[in-house]
Amino acid sequence: MLKTSTTDVVPEKNVQAKQRHGFRLTAKDKYFASIFLGPSILILGLFVFYPMFKTLYISMFLTNTLGKTTVYVGFQNYAKLITSPDFISSMWVTFIYVLAVTVLTIALGLLLANLSSQKLPGISIFRTLYSVTMGVSVAVAAIFWLFIFNPSTGFFALLSNWLNLPVVNWLTSPTNAMWAVIITTVWMHLGFTFLILLGAIESVPSTLYEAADVEGASPRYQFFHITIPMISPTLFFVSTITIIDAFKSFGLIDLITKGGPTNATNMLVYRIYKDAFYSGNYAKSSAEAIILTVIIAFFTLLQFKFLEKKVNY
Amino acid sequence: MSTILTNVSKSYDSDKTVLNDVTAEIQTGEFFVIVGPSGCGKSTLLRMIAGLTSISEGEIHIDGQLVNDLPPKDRNLTMVFQSYALFPFLSVWDNVAFGLKARKSTSQSEIEERVNEALKMVNLEELKDRKPRELSGGQRQRVALARAVASDAKICLMDEPLSNLDAQLRIKMRQEIYALQRKLGLTLIYVTHDQVEAMTMADHIMVLHDSQVQQIGTPTEIYKHPANEFVASFFGVPPINLLPATKINDQTIKVNDDFEMSINQQVPESEFQVGIRPNELMLEKVDELTANATVKSVEFLGDEKIVYAKMAHNDLEIAAIVASDAEFKAYDTILVSATEKVLLFNHEGVNITQMEAVVNA
Amino acid sequence: MSKYKKLVIPLIAVLGILLVAVFGHSLSVKSADNHNRIPIVFWHEMGGPSEDALEKVVDGFNKSQTKYKVIPKYQGTYDEAIQKILQTHNTSTSPAVFQAFDISTAQMLHSGYTTPVQNFIDEDNYDVSKISSVARAFYANKGKQQAMPFNTSQPVLYYNASLLKKYNITPPPVSPSYSDITRVAKELYEKSHHKVKGMTVQVYGWFLEQALANANAQLANNNDGHTGNPTKVSINNPDTVEFLEWIRENIKSGDFIDYGSGASAGANQTAGFLSDKVGIFIQSSASIGQLTKNNKNELGITYFPHPDNKKANGVAIGGAALWISNDKPKDVQRGAFEFIKYTLKPEVQAQWQKSTGYLALNKDSQKTSILKDLYAKNPESKVPGQQLATAKANYSNSGILMEGMQLTRQLEEIAMETVYNGGNIKKALDTADKNINDNLTQLNRANGYN
Repeated sequence: MLKTSTTDVVPEKNVQAKQRHGFRLTAKDKYFASIFLGPSILILGLFVFYPMFKTLYISMFLTNTLGKTTVYVGFQNYAKLITSPDFISSMWVTFIYVLAVTVLTIALGLLLANLSSQKLPGISIFRTLYSVTMGVSVAVAAIFWLFIFNPSTGFFALLSNWLNLPVVNWLTSPTNAMWAVIITTVWMHLGFTFLILLGAIESVPSTLYEAADVEGASPRYQFFHITIPMISPTLFFVSTITIIDAFKSFGLIDLITKGGPTNATNMLVYRIYKDAFYSGNYAKSSAEAIILTVIIAFFTLLQFKFLEKKVNY
Repeated sequence: MSTILTNVSKSYDSDKTVLNDVTAEIQTGEFFVIVGPSGCGKSTLLRMIAGLTSISEGEIHIDGQLVNDLPPKDRNLTMVFQSYALFPFLSVWDNVAFGLKARKSTSQSEIEERVNEALKMVNLEELKDRKPRELSGGQRQRVALARAVASDAKICLMDEPLSNLDAQLRIKMRQEIYALQRKLGLTLIYVTHDQVEAMTMADHIMVLHDSQVQQIGTPTEIYKHPANEFVASFFGVPPINLLPATKINDQTIKVNDDFEMSINQQVPESEFQVGIRPNELMLEKVDELTANATVKSVEFLGDEKIVYAKMAHNDLEIAAIVASDAEFKAYDTILVSATEKVLLFNHEGVNITQMEAVVNA
Repeated sequence: MSKYKKLVIPLIAVLGILLVAVFGHSLSVKSADNHNRIPIVFWHEMGGPSEDALEKVVDGFNKSQTKYKVIPKYQGTYDEAIQKILQTHNTSTSPAVFQAFDISTAQMLHSGYTTPVQNFIDEDNYDVSKISSVARAFYANKGKQQAMPFNTSQPVLYYNASLLKKYNITPPPVSPSYSDITRVAKELYEKSHHKVKGMTVQVYGWFLEQALANANAQLANNNDGHTGNPTKVSINNPDTVEFLEWIRENIKSGDFIDYGSGASAGANQTAGFLSDKVGIFIQSSASIGQLTKNNKNELGITYFPHPDNKKANGVAIGGAALWISNDKPKDVQRGAFEFIKYTLKPEVQAQWQKSTGYLALNKDSQKTSILKDLYAKNPESKVPGQQLATAKANYSNSGILMEGMQLTRQLEEIAMETVYNGGNIKKALDTADKNINDNLTQLNRANGYN
């Protein structure tokens, strides 16, 4: 018998003995524990915990031109940020963006996935078309959409000219720029979301629908009362991924709007980047990074607390 | 007032025929079993009745109405699937109520009444708040039954509902389903590959094989007067012994030089197959000189034994049922003989036994 | 989740192989590249056609001698490069010589990370008198040359001369006023029946700063930092307001098109100009190369516009200089200076102007056949040089020596965008003032300048 396999097959008596003495590790247990945990502790420590604490440290100082910490200011950087209208507007912009991207991506992905799960001739062509954005890199997507949004030679501009409608300033009006970024992000995410949701829909046993057919449920009723609950774990997964991705959105913003105009698309992550790597204000951007970490941690927790309970059947 | 299938056929593409020219009448309130080996098209036939699979040719009438183009929900029937088709995210109670809620034509109080009634009928009242994954196989089966019961449809279709259960439970559920059908007066159309289920529950059995109806009849008819070799060998455990035989004279036939038997009917042809049920064979332990077969193996079943033996002459194998206290073991030399209750099949497999003769015997 | 476990081991294996492949490759490259020449790593931010031209300069240097080998490495935008340069200092990846743009001069000066080129000039008794003094002065501190100007540009105003001819519009004069431009823009918009937008001004802080320079106004105190470290910025001044009001007037009349900010805006604007969608725009003289290459129209160039009631004070130079890092051995720094000297040769600068539009800094370049041919073929390409020559250098048009200029530009651009989108000019400038001063105060405190 292996000594380590104490969890499953210990006789009753041993379990009681263990409980009486509390959970005590033998030297051998500790040895194995350190061997198994060692590498991940080392890697996490080096690449996650150290940078995290360093960020926290920097955020309590002022940094000079060279990025070195000079004056200790405690929580002054934070206080400045949360009272700065600029930073607060960045937070709002981020929330609106994340919300819109998540809702639209999932709604559209679900719609397309449901449409193309129908058994129709030629449906595989549409499936391929819908999932094709998965293979498109951020840079290509950005350039592609920049061409479309161009106010004098872009597709939308030409269309408006042709229809004698006023040209929409997609990237220079704050509201429209937000929409432009949202549209582009949703477009980028749609392929992946579509494919994952299609997979989930396809894996719902067909007998469930047949049973519902026989019982007299309409297609609409079946969608909301069979498809949605059956794929809810996947929906949860996709929404988590999309939210996290949207929070981290960087490439598209950098390539399409650079956070502008008038900070209308200056999401937290992009702001952190600009403050650190454009302006060289490492203290400020460290404080911003810590705030973003707290926000994301809060949302993740919230999501697990409320959503996971509902989808776990 | 019955379900009538007229020349029903199903084919995918032009060359792949799944069902060919099925004609049957299923009486209201009867337990009708469609049985056959896998791939014979029995599930397809059931799905065609349900409306889940389209009909290529022929007509299906339910209660006098042509239903060929009617969607499933308008055929006023209910169906129990092999996988039970339970919704994993709904409680037992909500699973049973699903159809009633979906139709939106039943009042809340009536739904509650009917669901509770149905759960009571299948003894699931106490588990009504559980999710399907917290139930045993038999309990899940009962939920599926309750769902069928709760619906007011008078026709219930079942597609191999017991095949996912273990042997013990299958016997129990068999009785429950039978009792339920009788109690509710349901027209039950039941698909199975298990001849025991067919024999024990059916009012009428339809035997399907090779996309064709082989025979429709009561269990007794099917067993006693099988239409052909296939039907004869499909029913009975162990299966009927089918041996080539030749005619000696009007009352005597022989399987081989050491195995002759007399039958009390006119033998119509000179060469044919003789079918002898295992319990119509008699075995006797004898010395090597008088023996015509050797025991290969013996299976002990409690109150009886099955003896498998090989004929000395042309290596034909037979199975026989003997009393459990009869002492046979492998390599015993034995003399095999048969009663007069045998079936005769011509070279096309068609039963050519004269009925009266058998009945009289 | 357990089904993903199966993926983990192959994934690790693949990653391992990749790592080995990548590092193995880079090692082999290193050893193959070692031919006794001293490698001089050169970081630059020239993209597009300018990068090709720069690589020719580097090739020319590498072929001209056998002791050093300059290895050019593109570092993205000017903005992004600054932090890379500062944060890699004293590591093996840092460059020996690097290109840093005009507004980072104060930052580089204070960093203490560079060797003043003056040291080498003195060692070699190198004659700098041939090099444009205006450009040299920009990168000098207390009489010591800190960096050597390399690519120097002027903001100029471009217009589509063919379109103006087509609609019979008098072109803007040399050194136009705001209202001169407004007139041309409106006429073009109306006479083309709204098919061609009159003008655009890219949302770019540099242009706003140049408008102030041309109006002889200063952004930062202490004479834009030339007589001491700035402690206060006032962007909300009458000259900024006049500049923005000029733009807003054109927005209101409909003849203005807004392409936004950033590199993509620049590209969109160029595309719009080349496809006859907009008639006038302001851009660096470094764009001449691009604008003459694929232009079916005749290109018009004139000076950066000035306020109506003021004389043009002249604009500051833009562009970048070459700095020598002090974290490299003496012989490498020497190689870096040899390269700098090479880039300033008359022919090199002449060819550089011809292919990019940056101004040739060596006075002798004007005598080369390269530039003579160019002027004969494209007389308008003389304009930026003339604009530079006309200006008398003073504190207002010699750039802003202040740290935090990158953020300052971002804040200037936000103010511009606010106005372009209909916001109140004074309010937008007040916000910018507040944010720029906040940042400046903090930066001075962090740097210990108080």
